[in-house]
Amino acid sequence: MIKLIELEWRKLERKKVMGEVVIYLAILMFLPVFLLKVAFADMPEVPFGNSYAEAMGLMLPIQLGFILFGASLINHVFIEEYKNKTMALSFGYPLSRQRLVMAKTLFIALAVFACTLVSFVLAGITTYLFDLAIDVIEGTPTAADLMTYAVRMVLHAVVVALASLVPLFWFAIWKRAVIRTVICAIFLMQLPNFLGLLRITLNPDLLYAIFSLLGVISVYLSVKLVNRLGDL
Amino acid sequence: MHAVIQTHKLAKAVKGRTIVSDVDLTVKQGEIYGLLGPNGAGKTTVMKMLTGLIIPTSGEIMLFGKKLNESAKEGLKRVGSIIEYPIFFEHLTAMENLQLHCEYLGFYDKRAIRQALDLVQLKDIEDKKVKHFSLGMKQRLGIARAAITKPELIVLDEPTNGLDPIGIKDMRDLIRTLNKEYGITFLLSSHILGEIEQVADRIGVIRNGQLVDEVTLSDIRQQRTDYIELVTSNVQRTAFLLEHELHMANIKIVQENKIRIYDEGVSVGQISKLLVSQDIDIEEIQKHTSTLEDYFYHQIQGGDLA
Repeated sequence: MIKLIELEWRKLERKKVMGEVVIYLAILMFLPVFLLKVAFADMPEVPFGNSYAEAMGLMLPIQLGFILFGASLINHVFIEEYKNKTMALSFGYPLSRQRLVMAKTLFIALAVFACTLVSFVLAGITTYLFDLAIDVIEGTPTAADLMTYAVRMVLHAVVVALASLVPLFWFAIWKRAVIRTVICAIFLMQLPNFLGLLRITLNPDLLYAIFSLLGVISVYLSVKLVNRLGDL
Repeated sequence: MHAVIQTHKLAKAVKGRTIVSDVDLTVKQGEIYGLLGPNGAGKTTVMKMLTGLIIPTSGEIMLFGKKLNESAKEGLKRVGSIIEYPIFFEHLTAMENLQLHCEYLGFYDKRAIRQALDLVQLKDIEDKKVKHFSLGMKQRLGIARAAITKPELIVLDEPTNGLDPIGIKDMRDLIRTLNKEYGITFLLSSHILGEIEQVADRIGVIRNGQLVDEVTLSDIRQQRTDYIELVTSNVQRTAFLLEHELHMANIKIVQENKIRIYDEGVSVGQISKLLVSQDIDIEEIQKHTSTLEDYFYHQIQGGDLA
């Protein structure tokens, strides 16, 4: 399986994908500072700048941005391969379609997970450095804050990796639709904001659990039904 | 000679429409088998099922004596193929594409890549991206990829599509070389008899998704029927004279003024001389040879041999 995952990486247009990752990292690295210093500057009711513990509430949803990166990978790894028929090449190799789909899915999940982790680290460091220079968040981070951030970072990266796979079954393997895959990812990414606008209060952890569950269901259906939907 | 491919009642339906049905195909080891049929007859669908690209709706495929299905695709390690047209990762180089192919098959012999490229006479292209290749070059690269792991069977769907006359000849020579020198079995498809005829040992005719005939070319050549066709206003008397004067037994009246004579050893001149001497007018007399083309035309059109 590791070999198959590595081959997925080698088949990609790596420069293009790496370019995308750099853009995501660059945006998400500076976004917390931008929001705290510019967007929320005149909004004293927004509590994120009050302490490092409060800032966590901002740092976590920002990284949902990598769901969109997941959609991009789904496009490269599944939809483009179906459309330009390179998927047919893989079907002609002595490995089952289910194994192939599993390898592709794991590749996407691992890539999104790793990138989200890196992004968390970079965003955390950048925000802290800016805080030292221009006072973005009140107080200093405690050991407990750092520990919470580290744990949440890993858990959240798992959530983002699973949530990024929500469009996989319906929009990628079944419909093979790029735009609908991307729109689905944007919707998931923005759902916490939409709920806020609609004044619907939902525990964020419950929302993340639902995202993860939907991701797992999507993967299950993709692997289970690829033999029926996978013909070219 | 044992069977490399054997199918039993192979069928494929898409959205309720039957594309291929009841195909019992046998390809023997070492032969070049040509699948002949008009466009849309189901050749590509059969080949896709044989190479694991699509899953049959029903029926069975035995590849090298073992059942081929989604959970047992090991046999495909021994198969090289190009179905429809050669597909590559266009953004990768020729070398990267070939390496990927080898790794998927668990084949690690770097020299084999070079040998395969030499075999198809592709030189200095390893680092060139496939998107810059012409169709002919892609076709060659496709053959190189199909042959790289030294498979026992190569499946080529319309291998000369889009090639110029020189490319077609090269392809034909390459198929013969790989078959004769390396003992590779080939399954080829084409809708052009002339192409298949020049390389195949045996031909399967496919029509409306069904395999209607499997025959060796040597058999057809033996069966080939020559006849003399005669047009005259007095068919009955002509037939009588041919039977009694020239002792012919194989005569067929095909129309009210037309007779076909299948007996060998009697020339057009002898027949003409007899009929003229008996004052029977001859409107037309001609010797016919039914060609391979006639044979397959009738097979494909669903008629009997004349």
